[in-house]
Amino acid sequence: MTPVARRFLLVAGLVLMAVAGAILFEGFLSLETVLSFGHTRPGHITGWIGLAVILFVFIYPMWKRIRPNRAWPRRWFQVHMAAGVLGPLLIVLHAGAHLHAVVPILAMVSMGIVALSGIIGQAVHYLALRTLNEERRRLVQQGVSPDEADARLHDSVSREETFRVWQLIHAPMTLMFIVLVAVHVVGALFFGGL
Amino acid sequence: MRYLPLPRTAVPVVAVATVVLLAWLGWGSIRYPETFWAPGDVSRYHADVARCVDCHEPFQGPSPVKCLACHSEKRFVLRSKPVVSDLHREVIAQQKTCLACHTEHRGALAQITTNALLNPHGEFIFRVTGTSSCSACHAFGADMVAQPTLLDNDIVSHLFDEGEGAHHRGRMAHCVMCHVGGQ
Repeated sequence: MTPVARRFLLVAGLVLMAVAGAILFEGFLSLETVLSFGHTRPGHITGWIGLAVILFVFIYPMWKRIRPNRAWPRRWFQVHMAAGVLGPLLIVLHAGAHLHAVVPILAMVSMGIVALSGIIGQAVHYLALRTLNEERRRLVQQGVSPDEADARLHDSVSREETFRVWQLIHAPMTLMFIVLVAVHVVGALFFGGL
Repeated sequence: MRYLPLPRTAVPVVAVATVVLLAWLGWGSIRYPETFWAPGDVSRYHADVARCVDCHEPFQGPSPVKCLACHSEKRFVLRSKPVVSDLHREVIAQQKTCLACHTEHRGALAQITTNALLNPHGEFIFRVTGTSSCSACHAFGADMVAQPTLLDNDIVSHLFDEGEGAHHRGRMAHCVMCHVGGQ
């Protein structure tokens, strides 16, 4: 098994465990309530906290856009990653396994796509890209021509390109996620009260 | 190798898709509001309610005023047993809202009174007796948490007569222990 494949399985396992843990915890919290946890006041507050945490995610891309000539904001990127994992997990806790209406389901799916593509991008694609670059540099240093090196690394390049799809998903899907979350929040306030 | 910039078409394509999605959500919200918005199916008691705003006051939530549009005191007196009317009068005097005891959107077969006794028979009992309410077989006191009393009527008698002696007091609660799979 290649290091990239091993990393992919590790990340997939951790994500599954985290999501399953949040759903099980919501089930545990729902044992004591007539309504599911997400429909109780603490459940609503968890949703608002999750949304607030998710909003921190947007500081990093906004910082890059507003100040493109400044140094790469490493700290805000770390906040971006931490909030991008913690916020969605709080939302999973808020929703639990009680999905019924189309709007929150779509908001949940779009959040999952954005979060997963981000995790895959950072945890797997970055490793694939780094491994590929190191291997290519090693071959060139050994006297192999760049074209020959690319030909030898064809399989690794294909694998890296597969994971690169995350870029096509992560940022554009965020737009859909923001719209669906806004619709969900407005709808929840409309039917549930301010 | 480096991270490639996004294709120029990526954001416009998603923007168009989002607009189409919003239009679809708008259409669905008008045509199938329960499917698009409800956290669960409405119970069989409120299956005839046509619109969300029949119960929900916009941006205020489910409103007791809306409940009273159908469940007026006059209707309670006409259609409920005195104990039920008295219970509700007592609760209203305590200035509790309907939502203090009642809930919705927990499924077509779910009970809508919280803190009341759960139906230990499951929905099976309604199917075999042809009834739709606990009060068809039980009398409830003012304290809803109290044990219900079994009525002496044809439905209860018929149930006891069935089952070749297996149906008797103390054995009736958990129907599905014997009636596996609703048989």
